[in-house]
Amino acid sequence: MKPKVAFFDFTSCEGCQLDALNLDVGEVLGLLGAVDIVNFREVKTDRSDDYDIAFIEGSITKESEIPRIQAIRAQAKVLVALGACACTGGVNCMKNAYPMEDLLKGVYGECAEYYNTIPARPVSAVVPVDAYIRGCPPTTAEFVNVVKSLLLGKRPDLPNYPVCTECRIAGNVCVFQRGGTCIGPVTRGGCEALCVSSGRFCWGCRGLVDDPNTNSEKDILARYGLTIDQILERFKIYNSYSEVSKCQS
Amino acid sequence: MPENSVLIVDSDPAIRDTATWLKGAGFRVSTASTGEEALNLIDNQDFSVMLLDMHLPGKHGLGVLREVKVKRPWLQTIVTTDHPSVESATEALRQGAVDYLVKPVSPQDLAQLVKDTIKSAASKQKIASIQIKAKAAPSKIIPQTTFVISRDSLKNLVNSLIKERQAIGVKAKQGKFSFDKIKSFDDLTLDYDVTVNPPSAFFIPACETILRYKMGDNPEITPVTDTTPRVLIGVHPDDINAINLLDEVFMTGNPDPNYTARRQNTLIIGVDVLTPLPNSFAPSMSSHVAESGFDLLLTDIGNASYMVTVGSEAGAQVLAKYAQVREPTVAETARQKQVREEALSKYRLFLDMPREKIPHLLENNYDNPYWLSRSESCLNCGSCIMVCPTCFCFDVQDDVSLNMVDGERVRKPDGCMLVDFSKVAAGANFRGDKMSRFRHRMYHKGKYILDRYGKFGCVGCGRCSVTCLAEIASPLEAYNAIAASEKTKEKARRTITNTRPEPELYLPHLANIEKVTALSGREKLLEFKLKDGTALGHRPGQFVEVYVFGIGESPISLTSSPTRDHTFEVAVRNVGNVTGALHRLEAGAPVGIRGPFGNGFPLEQMEGKDLLFIAGGIGIFPLRSLIQYVLDRRESYGKINLLFGARSPAERVFADDMAEWAAAPDVTFMETVDKGDENWTGNVGVITTLIPKIQFDPKRTVAVVVGPPIMYRFVINELKKRDMADDNIIVSLERKMKCGVGKCGNCQINGVYVCQEGPVFSMTRLRTLREAI
Repeated sequence: MKPKVAFFDFTSCEGCQLDALNLDVGEVLGLLGAVDIVNFREVKTDRSDDYDIAFIEGSITKESEIPRIQAIRAQAKVLVALGACACTGGVNCMKNAYPMEDLLKGVYGECAEYYNTIPARPVSAVVPVDAYIRGCPPTTAEFVNVVKSLLLGKRPDLPNYPVCTECRIAGNVCVFQRGGTCIGPVTRGGCEALCVSSGRFCWGCRGLVDDPNTNSEKDILARYGLTIDQILERFKIYNSYSEVSKCQS
Repeated sequence: MPENSVLIVDSDPAIRDTATWLKGAGFRVSTASTGEEALNLIDNQDFSVMLLDMHLPGKHGLGVLREVKVKRPWLQTIVTTDHPSVESATEALRQGAVDYLVKPVSPQDLAQLVKDTIKSAASKQKIASIQIKAKAAPSKIIPQTTFVISRDSLKNLVNSLIKERQAIGVKAKQGKFSFDKIKSFDDLTLDYDVTVNPPSAFFIPACETILRYKMGDNPEITPVTDTTPRVLIGVHPDDINAINLLDEVFMTGNPDPNYTARRQNTLIIGVDVLTPLPNSFAPSMSSHVAESGFDLLLTDIGNASYMVTVGSEAGAQVLAKYAQVREPTVAETARQKQVREEALSKYRLFLDMPREKIPHLLENNYDNPYWLSRSESCLNCGSCIMVCPTCFCFDVQDDVSLNMVDGERVRKPDGCMLVDFSKVAAGANFRGDKMSRFRHRMYHKGKYILDRYGKFGCVGCGRCSVTCLAEIASPLEAYNAIAASEKTKEKARRTITNTRPEPELYLPHLANIEKVTALSGREKLLEFKLKDGTALGHRPGQFVEVYVFGIGESPISLTSSPTRDHTFEVAVRNVGNVTGALHRLEAGAPVGIRGPFGNGFPLEQMEGKDLLFIAGGIGIFPLRSLIQYVLDRRESYGKINLLFGARSPAERVFADDMAEWAAAPDVTFMETVDKGDENWTGNVGVITTLIPKIQFDPKRTVAVVVGPPIMYRFVINELKKRDMADDNIIVSLERKMKCGVGKCGNCQINGVYVCQEGPVFSMTRLRTLREAI
């Protein structure tokens, strides 16, 4: 029997789900041949509460999202965090630095009282997560890789080295050597250094590598003229929720 | 090269007589009075013989000889010296000097020797070239013939090759250079320093399918090899040597079919370096020239023409098919040599030892603290290994299609600097810490590969040091640092053995008290002079056993610098029998002295560094000898920060010295007391409160900390917060030392005798001694 797969979105832009769909025709057919998709708002209107694998997109930012994610966790055999918001809390966590009432007023003005918000957090801060597909957005290849690994019952081979490794393989001139700064040295690779290869720098969307040498990275960024505050600003875009940002206090 | 040009390097003006005589005998003579001057001359001019004096102001003759051997290996050097020794003679001849002469030498003899040297060098070259020809002729190797090709004809050659095969060449990229696909000759850059990516990427690609399979009841497996015909254009000699190593790895023993297929279908057109990368040390690895491994090798000789050396049958064929070449003129051949020599003279980084010594050096230094101290800032980013032209390790992964039937086995890049490289399935990681990974890479390059394949795993291209943000990746720096620490170790061993021969271990030398000065209520400064009038010959940080007749001996730190006088000083606090007796003695009184003992402060390590001295209470006693020493050799050190803490204003000692130190140029002096009094206007608080107030660069500073045991813990914590490496934190310990010569055992910390291996220790050493602090 083919495993039943469901997609759920929490607070996010839903770009990750769209990106998961960004497969070529062969891959879509392959995917449909391998699994039954029972719940995927971007794709189909039918819904079912009977599923084996749940892909979670988005971070948890509202009180009401907590029982919902807990219910999904209770049903799913495998729960996969999909994308930066689900994996690290993503950009949503930038709001955690401000009083929640001010944020509501700022966004909804006079209607603020009709809404609620709580400090944003990654899915793993609320329920256990079995696998992560990182990035903002994740790469289609990695999405497919994780799906296939789940189907084969093996642990996916996901990179645990910084973006630099892939950046060098891509033959890029290092951002630092071009006069810029980058947090690629402590950011988990797997994106094939997409942003740097396109002429930008790494924004850290895939989260930190295991055991990042953040002290050395701070030294290096400082040597290249950034202050600690500027460094943290850069880290906070995608990694506000992580330990790195907690270092500031 | 002028056949009769001589360079005389000597600071002695009398040597001009020799110069005049040599000129008279028909030689062209230049002179230099220092090593630096000589090296400058050699950079810009060629000489056939150099007369080199060993004792020069500044750089030592042996140092000059070593650099010359890298820059101008063919320059015949005759060493001259006033101070002959077997060691320096052996070293000079080992470094390639043709003769070692003890001065004075008569000008006539010297002129004859110079003539003979030039003659024998010329005949040696002739023999060598005959041997090369004889060796090449019967083997498969094509005799390397060299022609001249015009730029237009080269363009035609390249454009023709582009039509028949995939062409990879050097292109400008974001202010740097990179190997990339080229569509025409005009895309190419042939004068560049280094490419961002190594050419090995085209033989071991980042991601490569090695086999395909179908799963099911009847599985099928098909090997996949890439036989696309390619040409790599513009490969530098160091990279060609790197490919030669990869050939050794992948094409001998169990040949790798994928590498072999790529290699056999790829033409390599090399190009000599005109502008070396400042980080490159290729000449030290002898890889700045390539003798094989290319199909064609170009040298830009100006005037829109190149010398082209044929390295293989395939190279000869494409040259014959697509290019017009002619025999070079004598001037053109000379120009090629000149171009290569000019490029060689532009290299600025050198190994401090012949590269053959690297494996041996590594063998003896597996536990050198260097590995730990440098690897601390490693980002594990893998950049160094990804840009390395000789790195070849890989991972193999399986990739199944979504249909769950078709699959591929894929080779992916991996390497020793990446965290998961040595991780096994159960989760253990045999090189799980930064130090062991960092060390492994340096050993792989300098020893393991050499042991296995007979070639060094580093060609000195400099890519890793350019790309490493933490600035720790350069093998040159590692090998030189290890070599330097070996030297320091040797010196340290030498200083442990007593500088004064001691026929009778326990027999004191007689000395008299010259002068007694009261420092405080409890402390006195005693100045001693040995009865035989000789200097004590101590190093700052050493101690002596002071004997008061009838009372006993006590180990006491030397308080004065050996640079000051033939007398020596000790400061003594009245705390026991011997110190009490010393306090009662007056000028003229006889005492016994044994020593100096112990290792003293690491003076060689401190040279050229910024210094941070931290003294608590009577910790200033031993430190004063070092402060005096450093101030007497002020030009050898950088910025000096000096922190002193006393319990109260009444316990401050050496106030006059402190005033002098505070006034010394480029010295920051700060003082604190734990508790002030009504007259005290300075800082109040423990000594750690001063550390945040000073400016220092923890990377280039050596801190020397001396004080009571309680102070060490807090001060060292504070220094670690500022990211000082353990290696650069030096402390002096106090222990009961009855004999001073490693016999009585009182002073032992774990297995270490403080009187011999201390009392000065680096924190790196102390961390391994659990009983230390």
